[in-house]
Amino acid sequence: MSETKHKSPYALEVRGLTRSFGKRKVLDNVSFQVKHGEILIIMGGSGCGMSTLLRHIIGSLKPDAGEVYIDGTEITKLNDLELAKVRKRFGMLFQTGALFNSLTVGENVALPILESSDVAPHIAELVVKLKLELVGLTGFEHLKPAQISGGMKKRVGMARALALDPDLLFCDEPTAGLDPVMTAVIDTLTVDLTKKLGLSAVVVTHDMTSAFRIATQMIFLFEGKVIAAGTPEEIKANPNPILQQFINGDADGPIPLKLSKDDYLKRLLQA
Amino acid sequence: MLRAYTELSLQAFASIFAHSPLFGQRGWRLSALFDQMVAIGVASMPTVGLANFLLGIVLAIQGAGQFEKLGATDMVANLVAFSVLREIGPLITAVIVIGRSGSAITAELGTMKVAEEIEALNVMGIDPVKYLVVPRLLAMILMMPVLTVLGEGVGLFAGWLISVTALHLNPIFYVSNSIDAVEQKDLFSGLLKALFFGAAVGTVACYYGMQVEGGAEGVGKATTKSVVTCLTTMLAMDALLTTLIYFVL
Ligand SMILES: Nc1ncnc2c1ncn2[C@@H]1O[C@H](COP(=O)(O)OP(=O)(O)OP(=O)(O)O)[C@@H](O)[C@H]1O
Ligand SMILES: [Mg+2]
Repeated sequence: MSETKHKSPYALEVRGLTRSFGKRKVLDNVSFQVKHGEILIIMGGSGCGMSTLLRHIIGSLKPDAGEVYIDGTEITKLNDLELAKVRKRFGMLFQTGALFNSLTVGENVALPILESSDVAPHIAELVVKLKLELVGLTGFEHLKPAQISGGMKKRVGMARALALDPDLLFCDEPTAGLDPVMTAVIDTLTVDLTKKLGLSAVVVTHDMTSAFRIATQMIFLFEGKVIAAGTPEEIKANPNPILQQFINGDADGPIPLKLSKDDYLKRLLQA
Repeated sequence: MLRAYTELSLQAFASIFAHSPLFGQRGWRLSALFDQMVAIGVASMPTVGLANFLLGIVLAIQGAGQFEKLGATDMVANLVAFSVLREIGPLITAVIVIGRSGSAITAELGTMKVAEEIEALNVMGIDPVKYLVVPRLLAMILMMPVLTVLGEGVGLFAGWLISVTALHLNPIFYVSNSIDAVEQKDLFSGLLKALFFGAAVGTVACYYGMQVEGGAEGVGKATTKSVVTCLTTMLAMDALLTTLIYFVL
């Protein structure tokens, strides 16, 4: 990776991103940066806006306020055509996989290749084989998404995200639903890609083992705000009780999950 | 809503020409168009044929009831030929295509929308209008007249069949009567209608599919709305075109 290739020291920079759905502020002044070749892990409780954050970064949603810079280019105000150009450098793994159900696994991975350039079909086929091998799915080309498991869909989604050798990889819970061995395979793959190809990655995950294994930077979202950010070591050492409860996976702590017994009784009797 | 619909339609029509593979550009794919032509057109043929066949019979019998009183049962041939070509053929074909393929387009695109497939296309830098809407719209525009001609053929045959069997009309006489009754204009005005119906159904069905929000429930609601809007638009268009053709041609 040559330094001159990049316009900005940051592959991704988010500044003051704010977004409400109705009255609920799902993202509240979120800011962070990702340097080239880094892996940023986004953590946070379920439903706290991580997928929404990714959607804003890839330009599918427009923020109420704030900016998103992709290698120095501000994308929240680009038109569709300009955005499509920036997106050519993205790979995105959706939380649900978002595979095309009418296409086979192989065709799903081949789609971005065939649609973006005049690649001969047999070359595309070769690339598809390669990418599927990376995620441990050799020989599944001819199955339809409905015929494979949830974890396999995730991995096909990963192969498709990598099809065009992106500069920036976004993964929404890449290892949810995978067994520990496959999780390790995907983690190693992500690290390899950043180390060997200089790709930068933004990964949303609830899997703490996996998070600490691959992260170079981490941020923790809580009620739409970034309440902790830093290297894995800094995050581990961060005394914030909410963060610690999350990392350790304790049921008891400051994160308001359950109502107290009295509240519970009150609610039950009211209803 | 009307604005979003107009935007999508204009974009789709622009893409048909601007990104046409016929002019050697990368854009929508001919193979996708053929797939849709099969799904929308070829697969609808049996139903379109059946509907037109049944209406051909109904027309002939109803007509016979009236013409008998005037002692002019022969006129059944004229009635069937004229109304099948001008009105019934294009109309009933469009109704069948709306019910079968219009709803399918909305449901399919809607399902893709809620499964984030359309968002995924966008992120890959693939224009969903070019990739999904154009082949469906174009297939609709091309296949609606084809299906209409087929339907009209079947409808005319049904009219003839019932007339020579149940009404005991002379088969040769019936045919020559039919030919005398219609002009080229009648055939073309029917096909012109079909062309417009195809464009209307294609754009409306795609529009409702692309704007689906909120899961499977959203897909269901959008499909219902799409069918209703397609039917009313088609009927309004029919009235307008019939009037125009009457006064202009
Ligand atoms: N289009 C939308 N309209 C209204 N509310 C939305 C919309 N999208 C997301 N939300 C709300 O924003 C919140 C965050 O959603 P998001 O999908 O980002 O969660 P998440 O952090 O990814 O959770 P998970 O880890 O469970 O996937 C949710 O409470 C959701 O109800
Ligand atoms: Mg999510």
